[in-house]
Amino acid sequence: MPQRVNNSMGALAALVDDTELMLRVREGDHASFALLLDRHRKSVVHYLYRMVQDHALAEELAQEVFLRVYRSRTTYEPSAKFTTWLFRIATHLALNALRNGRKERNRESMDAESGEIPREYPDRSPSVEQAMVREATLDEVRKAIAALPDRQRAAVLMHKYEEMEYSQIARALNCSEGAVKSLLFRAYETLRARLAHLVEVKGGVR
Amino acid sequence: MKCPSESPENGLLLEYCSGRLAPPAAAALDRHLESCPRCARECARQRAVWNALDLWEAEPVTPDFDRRLYRRLEAGRSAAWWRRIVPPSLLRPALPLAAAAALLLAGVWLQRPAGVRTAPPAEPRAQAMELEQVERTLDDLEMLRQFDLMAQKEAEPRRSM
Repeated sequence: MPQRVNNSMGALAALVDDTELMLRVREGDHASFALLLDRHRKSVVHYLYRMVQDHALAEELAQEVFLRVYRSRTTYEPSAKFTTWLFRIATHLALNALRNGRKERNRESMDAESGEIPREYPDRSPSVEQAMVREATLDEVRKAIAALPDRQRAAVLMHKYEEMEYSQIARALNCSEGAVKSLLFRAYETLRARLAHLVEVKGGVR
Repeated sequence: MKCPSESPENGLLLEYCSGRLAPPAAAALDRHLESCPRCARECARQRAVWNALDLWEAEPVTPDFDRRLYRRLEAGRSAAWWRRIVPPSLLRPALPLAAAAALLLAGVWLQRPAGVRTAPPAEPRAQAMELEQVERTLDDLEMLRQFDLMAQKEAEPRRSM
């Protein structure tokens, strides 16, 4: 019975949109904040991870994102989609972190701590050769993304992985939709050039 | 239709390859690709990039992420209790004023004459206060004695009568 109650509570919560939840947080409802965290934790951490390419720093920045969301609850006005606001904060923090060169400093201090928490990696059980090819390809992808200018990288990550619309990306980056199209065009052009050699084998990615 | 490769910056091919193009526009582009090797090649390249990016999975979020966050939230709440009392709108203009006042006081302190800087010793001042109190008490006692004498003088003629 409690399980069924929990399930129906979860189903009800799923129907409430983010803006409504945030308005409830503004009224002091901590459970709504927990729901928002549950919905967006993963995407925010992953986005930040791909931005800064350092897992510990990404989590630290993601924590800062949710702290800022919570702290600004009393002044929250639903003028934009909640995720747009969330990614605007995340992008701002990531760009600042990259600009300030915090990445290197944190890698040294946080790597020591990361040993305390065991991480689970999905087990795909590929052969050694497949794993090596995959790792090499991934390395190329990571380097290609890292080589993009910061704003182009942010635009690509929001477009590709978060499936955000031009208008949302524009708000997150504080620019026009035309500027976003231009950023994406240049970014994908660079990625096509850098990753072209991955296309040749069997007409797809090696 | 106009060849998308002639104006690639409009993002039509990108939208098509990412599956975001509306069905009628996608169908029109399908037909165009059959007869345009340039667009077909661009699409193949874009799809390859798209597939390569798909391979990049982010690491899972560490299990204690929420616990750490709530700990920070709690720490923030207890550390900033006074902020609830003093709103930031008042605090912000008050800080420069406080700094200016501190500078002013420091200036006054440094500028005053040397004789004034040293405070008079506390002990003689206390002694002077004690003497004053004793004198006042003696005066009060004298006054009471006078009242007493007057009362006695008034009582004597009544007894004699």
